Amino acid sequence: MTGMPDKTNLPLLKVQNLSKFFGKHIGCHDINFELSPGEVIGIVGESGSGKSTLLNCIAGKTNPTNGAVYFNSSDGYIDLCMSDEALLRKIARTQTGFVTQNSRDGLRMGISAGGNIGERLMANGMRNYGQIRKIALEWLETVEIDPARIDDLPETFSGGMQQRLQIAANLVTEPKIMLMDEPTSGLDVSVQARLIDVLRKLVSRLNLSMVLVTHDLAVARLMCHRLYVMKNGKIIESGLSDQILDDPRKPYTQLLVSSVLKP
Amino acid sequence: MDWILKLVNIGKDFVFHHQQGTRLVVINNFSMDFSPGETAVLSGPSGSGKSTLLRMIYASYKTEKGHIFIKHHGKQVDVATAAPALIYNIRQDTIGYVSQFLRVVPRVSALDTVIEPLIARNMEENLAMEKGKQMLERLNIPQNLWHLSATTFSGGEQQRINIARGFIASYPIMLLDEPTASLDAKNRKVVMELIQEAQLHGSCIISIFHDKYDQQIIAGRTIDMSEQLLKEA
Repeated sequence: MTGMPDKTNLPLLKVQNLSKFFGKHIGCHDINFELSPGEVIGIVGESGSGKSTLLNCIAGKTNPTNGAVYFNSSDGYIDLCMSDEALLRKIARTQTGFVTQNSRDGLRMGISAGGNIGERLMANGMRNYGQIRKIALEWLETVEIDPARIDDLPETFSGGMQQRLQIAANLVTEPKIMLMDEPTSGLDVSVQARLIDVLRKLVSRLNLSMVLVTHDLAVARLMCHRLYVMKNGKIIESGLSDQILDDPRKPYTQLLVSSVLKP
Repeated sequence: MDWILKLVNIGKDFVFHHQQGTRLVVINNFSMDFSPGETAVLSGPSGSGKSTLLRMIYASYKTEKGHIFIKHHGKQVDVATAAPALIYNIRQDTIGYVSQFLRVVPRVSALDTVIEPLIARNMEENLAMEKGKQMLERLNIPQNLWHLSATTFSGGEQQRINIARGFIASYPIMLLDEPTASLDAKNRKVVMELIQEAQLHGSCIISIFHDKYDQQIIAGRTIDMSEQLLKEA
């Protein structure tokens, strides 16, 4: 990623000593990082390395065993792990977005595309139907879905369209940060290229920050300013994307980078 | 001496953990100063650390030994220890890097690829487009390709897109890693002109050229990188 994040502001997210254990099993252990406004960081590593557990902890979907996730909300820093449910729901509706690998988990399949986008607006108190529809149409266009499909159910959409609808449904309230769990996996390459292009434009236009979990290093290089490499629940190496991919230092990172076909 | 780039006892080795832990020393306790506006050509056989040195200065490779001091926005900073935030900023305003390889982003037009460094500096889009078009014209990219993604371009065309992108903005320090390799004579001449224009702008240029003739046009100081490897560590 070559667009320049705005690093003059305070960190948007501060993850401190975050750990999650499932009984004796380690989900993620002693994770520390900061994320600045406009910055995109990637979390890479093989399946089972704890990437999604970490993302779920940040998103408030899983309660960590230890540690804190400080989020610079419109009311100042709050610890997402210690806040009450009502506040977390409010933040998840307005200031953060979460895009899941399987769009069926992130969308309501039984309501229209427009309804999926409008839901977040209505949850935030918008009541004017005409206005909600207008905004939904604009967002469909932004994520390159034919606005004529506004009344269709997501079920009738292709996988790539569902992913883009999920992104639109999250971004409609202009959150500060998007958490994404493998948004491009399972899509064929041309659809993936389109999704990446849409996301890159949104990042620079909205000064959006992202935490992107992916096992695709080519996607990581295109999208992310910095990368964190996870293995067995721990971060073993981190740095600028080109440093990690062109000059991996740790044995596991070298294995990871040398195992893929040239990105 | 007034310097813009000061390398102090830098070292770089690569350990290949999955190839019997082979350790390769590529930069060995190397120190050197570079002045604003000077031109230096790195020479030496392949494997003598020329590209590695440029990548360390650009922070694509981590520097774990020594210091890489530069003047950035009038202040002295150490690239070896700079926080990511500062590196993004240095790459935007102070250090440019041009190789012969374009990293193509699917669906982004050649013109948009070229003007990205100007947009990052907040140049107004129409003006940036104008400059981008002039640059593509100079590098003989046919106009009907400007609005296409470079994904499908030939190797030579991609290389020229990358050069256009590298020279569209001026930087106090420019690192050139064989930008003219495999270009035809006409385009090679254009690249040499672009380099000379950057010199006139006062950029400090550190370059690698395979071609002896190109090295001579650039003139300036020649630094033999094979010598640093012969020293005692």
